Amino acid sequence: MQFLNLRLKQTPHKVAPDPSAMSVSQLLGDYALPISIRAVNSLPHDARQRIYRMLIPPSLLTRVGINPITWRATETGACIELDAAPDTGSVKIIIRDSADSSDAFFTLDLSDNSFNGIDLHFLLLSDPASERFRTDVDAQGHATLFGTTYRNRAEEERAMRAGLAPAQIRASLGMSQVVLHQLDAFLTFLSHHAISLEPLTYASAWVFERRGFAYMRGHKLMDDIEREFQAGGKLRAALDGSTPFRQPDQWQTIRGRTWAIHDGILEAMDARWNDLRMVKQVGKHAGVNTAPGVPY
Amino acid sequence: MSQKFRIARAAELESLGVLRDFIHDQCARAGIDDATTYELKLAADEACTNIITHGYAQMNPGSLILDLEIDAHQVVLRITDFGHPFEPSEPIAPDVQAALDDQPTSGFGLFFIYSVMDAVDYRATEEGNCLMLTKRRAPKVVPV
Amino acid sequence: MSSRRQLQITKVKINAVTIISVTGSVDALTAPMLAEYLAREIQNPNPNLVIDFAELDYTSSAGLRVLLSAVKAARARGGDVRLAAMQTNVAKIFEMSGFNAILKVYPDRARAVASFAA
Repeated sequence: MQFLNLRLKQTPHKVAPDPSAMSVSQLLGDYALPISIRAVNSLPHDARQRIYRMLIPPSLLTRVGINPITWRATETGACIELDAAPDTGSVKIIIRDSADSSDAFFTLDLSDNSFNGIDLHFLLLSDPASERFRTDVDAQGHATLFGTTYRNRAEEERAMRAGLAPAQIRASLGMSQVVLHQLDAFLTFLSHHAISLEPLTYASAWVFERRGFAYMRGHKLMDDIEREFQAGGKLRAALDGSTPFRQPDQWQTIRGRTWAIHDGILEAMDARWNDLRMVKQVGKHAGVNTAPGVPY
Repeated sequence: MSQKFRIARAAELESLGVLRDFIHDQCARAGIDDATTYELKLAADEACTNIITHGYAQMNPGSLILDLEIDAHQVVLRITDFGHPFEPSEPIAPDVQAALDDQPTSGFGLFFIYSVMDAVDYRATEEGNCLMLTKRRAPKVVPV
Repeated sequence: MSSRRQLQITKVKINAVTIISVTGSVDALTAPMLAEYLAREIQNPNPNLVIDFAELDYTSSAGLRVLLSAVKAARARGGDVRLAAMQTNVAKIFEMSGFNAILKVYPDRARAVASFAA
């Protein structure tokens, strides 16, 4: 194919087949054509279950006593929910350590996107045995939506001191690598070549970089943040001790930086934490590292 | 056996020098001659400049991933980005006289890429845009 | 060695000819700096410029575009831009693009300067 007039494509970036070509009949047809989540959701319950079972690493399930094939727990009381309604293009899998536990310790949320690819909306992996912080509701009981609408500063401060990142209510389970490998296998099964997401925080972008993601948007912002946290930078200067989340040594760790960014420090460089988008090509590691040598 | 190297940088003009240095260093290590190295740097630079100024225009730029694969016969350079894809088209030799006579000038970059590379292939897919540039290595002259 | 040197531009004047030495690399990032420098020099009447490329390690098409507008502007004001001492790799892309047909190129700076006296 010949390359590159200076003209950009006028149509949106949509290079995958049309949704009608992505039907579940592809299970019996051309193995190279992608299948959408909407198509999988149109299957009868058992077939759907068989396919979505592939999303969860078996080792994660056996760890909490859930049978990876039947998805039943024998003794532990752990339970797993699959939300993949027909006529929707999304799937959500939730695992709780007990049926009466209101907090999930594992949540995975995927959906078809408008470019006929798949988005990872939400991935939560928290250690159910670790302390629970109420950073998700403010003092008046409003949901904080990860601290984006309301904030529970007292509880956030406790969480920060306990080593959590913003948006976490418990310490991480440390299994993101296994889960993302499994996701690669699942995407391959559906003949998708990539998955994209919007990183919720600076720390999550950092984690996803290490898991092989590159940036569709926001690589420069990450570089700018790294640069401005160096000596003489605007973010370094804004770590002035004016709040518990802006202590002078916080540039040294990804978590410290993330709390400062959560606290609004990007204003110092006229930027905001929004409109970042990351992408991972199945089976490939992009090798992006925007904060070399900075520990988590 | 081929050697593979990769670098990922933000798609901004400040990255061009870093990307050229990367090609320079890996080629030097692999014993690629100066002229071929210059041509690889030129083709990569022109392609990346297009991606930076047009493909990622009007957004906070994403990534540019450069893969270099060197074997005994050829050097393959793959440039991956996730911006707007380009419309495939034929390269046109620039007319410098016309440019001097006040006609719009562009297309030098594209022309250089085609002139210095042996093969050029471009694909825009769900997983990103990939430009593949192939340069055959000059055969080693064996003294008689 | 990593070849990259910062773009540096210096000038000397010999009689009515200004010699501009360009060191380092010209690409889409640094080309505007060269363009501004040349534009300032060309503001004078009859701008006779020799650009000495002995220390120019690299240029992309961005550098060629700058030269194209510089030569256009200089000729419009009764002067010219002439090039000297290009390294082999740089010379090759000048040839490839057909720039040799519209710009005078000399093997060294002395001959380029002398060409203005002729």
